[in-house]
Amino acid sequence: MLDMLNALMSGLIQCFTWSTFSLMCIGIAIGFVVGILPGLGGPTAMALMLPFVFKMSAVEAFAFLLGMTAVTATTGDITSVLFGVPGEPTTASTIVDGHSMARNGEAGRALGAVLMSSLVGAIFGAVAIAIAVPIVRPLVLSFGSPEFFMLSLLGITFVASLSGEDQLKGIIAGGIGLMLATIGLDPISGTQRFTFNQLFLWDGIGLVPITIGFYAIPETIELAVLGTSIATQEVTELGGVMQGVKDTFRHWWLVIRCSALGTFTAIIPGMGAATTQWLAYAHAVQSSPNKERFGKGAVEGVLGPGAANNSTLGGSLITTIAFGVPASVIMAILLGAFIIQGIVPGPDMLIPEPKGHLSLTFSFVWVIIISNIITVGICFLFLKPLAKITQVRGSLIIPIILVLIYLGAFAEKNAFEDMLVVLFFGALGWVLEKLEWPRPPVLLGLVLGPLAENRLFLSSDNYGPAWLGRPGVLIIFAIILLGVIYPIITKKREEREKSASVSEAQATVEVAKPGGLRFTQAALFTTFVAVVLALALLQSRHFGFRAGLFPWVIGIPTLLLTLVQLAKDIMGHEKPKAAAADWEMVVDVAPEVARQRTISILLWTVGFFLAIWLLGFSNSVLVSMILYLKIAGKEKWPMTIAVSFFTWLFVYGLFERALSIPFPDGLLLTWIRGS
Amino acid sequence: MVRKLYCFLASAIFVPSLLMAASAEDFYRGKNIRIVVGFSAGGGFDTYARAIARHIGKHIPGQPSVVVENMTGAGSLIAANHVYKVAKPDGLTIGHFIGGLFLGQVLGQKGIEFDARKFEFIGAPISDHVVCALTKASGITSVEKWMASKTPVKMGGIAPGTSTPDNATRVLKAALGLPIQLVTGYKGTADVRLAAESGEVAGGCWGWDSVSVTWRKALDTGDAVVVLQANRIIHPDLPHVPLAIKLAKTDEARKLIEVGIHGDSEIVRTYTLPPGTPKDRVQILRAAFNATLKDAEFLADAQKSKLNVDPVPVEEVEKDIQGLFKLDPGTINKLKDILYN
Repeated sequence: MLDMLNALMSGLIQCFTWSTFSLMCIGIAIGFVVGILPGLGGPTAMALMLPFVFKMSAVEAFAFLLGMTAVTATTGDITSVLFGVPGEPTTASTIVDGHSMARNGEAGRALGAVLMSSLVGAIFGAVAIAIAVPIVRPLVLSFGSPEFFMLSLLGITFVASLSGEDQLKGIIAGGIGLMLATIGLDPISGTQRFTFNQLFLWDGIGLVPITIGFYAIPETIELAVLGTSIATQEVTELGGVMQGVKDTFRHWWLVIRCSALGTFTAIIPGMGAATTQWLAYAHAVQSSPNKERFGKGAVEGVLGPGAANNSTLGGSLITTIAFGVPASVIMAILLGAFIIQGIVPGPDMLIPEPKGHLSLTFSFVWVIIISNIITVGICFLFLKPLAKITQVRGSLIIPIILVLIYLGAFAEKNAFEDMLVVLFFGALGWVLEKLEWPRPPVLLGLVLGPLAENRLFLSSDNYGPAWLGRPGVLIIFAIILLGVIYPIITKKREEREKSASVSEAQATVEVAKPGGLRFTQAALFTTFVAVVLALALLQSRHFGFRAGLFPWVIGIPTLLLTLVQLAKDIMGHEKPKAAAADWEMVVDVAPEVARQRTISILLWTVGFFLAIWLLGFSNSVLVSMILYLKIAGKEKWPMTIAVSFFTWLFVYGLFERALSIPFPDGLLLTWIRGS
Repeated sequence: MVRKLYCFLASAIFVPSLLMAASAEDFYRGKNIRIVVGFSAGGGFDTYARAIARHIGKHIPGQPSVVVENMTGAGSLIAANHVYKVAKPDGLTIGHFIGGLFLGQVLGQKGIEFDARKFEFIGAPISDHVVCALTKASGITSVEKWMASKTPVKMGGIAPGTSTPDNATRVLKAALGLPIQLVTGYKGTADVRLAAESGEVAGGCWGWDSVSVTWRKALDTGDAVVVLQANRIIHPDLPHVPLAIKLAKTDEARKLIEVGIHGDSEIVRTYTLPPGTPKDRVQILRAAFNATLKDAEFLADAQKSKLNVDPVPVEEVEKDIQGLFKLDPGTINKLKDILYN
């Protein structure tokens, strides 16, 4: 025990030596920028920095790298809130309510909340490392593939609470997400599933392009249609920052629960912050008494993921340190750094000096805490000007967001096709939004699907049917049952209590409903979903049992539920509210103008992509920006030139020159050169 | 008029580059060489490539800058096809993808759009030395005990077609008749190791460079034991571990191990140039590659990162790859059967 305390103190002291502290600050500065910029992810930045690690001592090296990593999830949240484009793949979930808050003129409050909860989450995760030291090895070794499978199943049941008011649509959306997750090479048999002979689909569709498409593109369209700044409502008080900080403490237990969720889930290999953020978001929704506020700017929807995506680092680090099993790409690179330093992660990391490296492990704890305190402190200084971005007129912001969309989509895997994926899911996301289908269940299904499928087969291969009887499996199964049944019981009870007072209101709804069969836009889309699912099932009959089982088990019920939804759509069982009406209420835009603007922004979005295709990335940024600002934005020349030039300089200088991101040459240029 | 413009543009771009080719030394001055790595940043392929990229520039006349680009996907097949079809053969693009794809071409693996015989090769910094390590808890602490096991021994795998652990394990099972149940689908060798430690599988077969570093502690305490090695020679670290090829009883078994494991191990980390790269630049890059692998600063970097360096000469790489195309149909069918079914 005394050894532990000694190591804890020694870890702290080591962080404050001059060289370590200054290297940590450099790391923080890099992580700060990396987090904010979409398309420039933590893993890339870390790999680039790895060579510098050679000359550092172990404590210095990890202060530098961890300082950098620890802050990306914090500053990535800022981009998500302000622009609706995820700054990091791990900060996508803060868009849902964070960006809605920004649109409601509460950017300051959202940023205050997300930063404060990030800090709490980071500290929680770091403290968890310290506490977990004695128990982590027996704990993780008692988990096998069957338990990992059950935990991912538990995660999938969270879809229900992400579904909002319409449970049926939510469950179908979750099913679609799980089906999307089966795209690619099946890891057990190597069968190609839904790849259409496209190599880029072998590894499945990435979370990043889907998320960007789902959220950033509909946001851009809306911004253009409304013709306002990001904040559609008057920004009453920029001091909303303090309000956000207070919110963190007002919802203290939620923040702590989500932090714990992030840390403990991340101990499982394969569950990174890309997953935990959505689980935390689902938990925030589930535990709230008024769920209908979510997606429209509920601060709890910001606090939960804000805390979880930061606390995850602690959890993943536990697995990396104790077993040398990297829980994520970042951890894999960190593992490389361990080896450069001549340290092999494993049991030694948990034993005090001189036999082990416990004080090094504890220095990680301190680095995470200190770097987050510094980052959040610095962010608070800049929050007011940052929040003002939401008041800049849309015509200036839109082309910049379009650049960020394509940059973020391309640079994750340096894949040109991912820009097409963004466009496709942008269109899908826009339709889903307009027709009031929930988008988060799709993403949750997408991240948990592969884990569930893989671990299911590993379980049955390793244990046969006996895995079903393992105590861990039974315990988690009981938790799943409880989680599914309890909300149903409480809902029934609430309904019974309310039934008397509501019956009258329902009667009026019945009247408002148009009678007879109708084939609306909603029904058209549901038909589309059903047809695609049916075609997918049809194709999957060639997969064989191993590769086919998962698509069938997911696809058939999803298709049946979609048909139920279709029947509902056609029979006219829908709320008598005009779906398209609500944004027109906020800012007065005539339907005719709205339609013109919609068509215009759709053309610009596709045009940006075509320009990239024909002219190459950097050139097209300059050309498209000038054209957009001059024609669509009607900006004056000096402003047009200045904004275009600086955006170009940023893309060309930072991404193309400094980071040598391999943007493909424009088709037109290649053609001219070649002919 | 338009044609004239094209001619002008074409000559403006082509003539200078032809002139430069006359003197390769001048060619590389102020240029930028890219190493296209088929795996993500931070992995084994990437780590070697970045270490080489840091030092190779100074061994090339004209001292160009060298950057690493990660082009991930389809087990590096996307990068392989890119280097073959898209990359310009101007000596400024070097490809680094998994060498198992060359065998894949011979066996008719889907998605391959290159012809391995047309690539130019530079060499490889290291060859794999495949070993099978199993936990003491599994009870399999020697190859004799393994042979005698009444039930199939569970060995971890990643995905069908992966050189190690999957292909190596399948070949050993078929060639030596070892009782093995390959449980595939783990995310990486680290996950296989964790599954072995928790008792889910008995162990796995992959490179000694990785096993010796990441499983060091368990090997030292005897909780994990290397029971078999598959290479042409005995590894100096493992003098008492039996060689797989020595245990093979038939010519066919020996041939399977030779092609499926030994040959594959040598070419797995090959560095490649697009077909049609000018010969003088190929020679320059080969010489620079060899010089880098002997460079004291590079070796110091490599040693710190625990990257072993044991260069495979380019002649050896070419011989292995040409050998793949001379395999008899019987062996090819047998390998297809073992690796993909």
